[in-house]
Amino acid sequence: MSDWREFDQNPVSHSAAHHLTTIQQLHDEFGYARVSDVARHLGITRGSVSVTLKGLRQRGLVVEDDHKHLSLSEEGLRIARGIRIKRILIQALFREVLGIPDEVAETDACKVEHLVSDVTAISTAKLLKHIEDGKSLSEFSPLVDEAASGAFPDAMIQEIADQMEGRETGDGRGEK
Amino acid sequence: MNSMMHREEALRRLNELLSEELEASIRYLHLSMMVHGIDRLIVQKILQENHEETLEHAQQVGEKILQLGGNPSPRIRVEVEGRRFTGQEAIAEALIFEKAALEGYRELLERIDGSGDVVLEEFARQQVAVESEHVSQLQMLLVEESDVGQ
Repeated sequence: MSDWREFDQNPVSHSAAHHLTTIQQLHDEFGYARVSDVARHLGITRGSVSVTLKGLRQRGLVVEDDHKHLSLSEEGLRIARGIRIKRILIQALFREVLGIPDEVAETDACKVEHLVSDVTAISTAKLLKHIEDGKSLSEFSPLVDEAASGAFPDAMIQEIADQMEGRETGDGRGEK
Repeated sequence: MNSMMHREEALRRLNELLSEELEASIRYLHLSMMVHGIDRLIVQKILQENHEETLEHAQQVGEKILQLGGNPSPRIRVEVEGRRFTGQEAIAEALIFEKAALEGYRELLERIDGSGDVVLEEFARQQVAVESEHVSQLQMLLVEESDVGQ
């Protein structure tokens, strides 16, 4: 078994995943993100953020303008969006299917959000939709081949994730 | 800003700076161990000196927190690259976290400037000067134009 080595080869580390999603979140909320904002949001030092950002900049995932405002490149945005959707889906799976309390589900989803493959995330989304539609588990087919061929996240996955997030925040968006 | 808010804000920022200094100290120590190549002869000594200096800064910030009636409460989480660095790479890495510390002191100074706390203001001003000096020195080692006055 050499699957454990995949952890080392994962394109985005846990820390990098948090930096990317935080930059996007701050950008969405305030229209800009600075190193100090990211540091405060994550509860770490500016030094740590700056050192991590160096690597993300070199990989072309984060860009900084003349005012030292950070934003994500197209690829960075795609990765951040994918991580966020995976977190929502895994959290919903733990909560809705396994009956795990939401706080625990959120923490555990956070631990794996950046490690889960696109195929697993797509199958999870389909399973959640399947259950949402009132169908039994024995009828569920993950359709892995189909899932593997599509770009992640597509509009359908996004829609399922939005529904699940609505349930999580209790704003009714996900209610039937 | 009233005095209570000023004190709370100052303590929060000083604790952030304490974390910055302690992390920088660990990073300098790690870089001093990992620097390799012919540059090691010179660069290792510079990194070790900076390690000691940042520890002294941490001590000073801790004292300042105590003087304000707070408790030094650093939150440290250092992840370092487990690889060897050339002298140039080590200095470039150090420049990243030195600039971050300088920004932190600058922000502290901006927030307390005109608050009436002359002692803290003077401390922040001194630290900005010292950190600016550090950044300039590292930039000179990298043959970079200094940008600390901008």
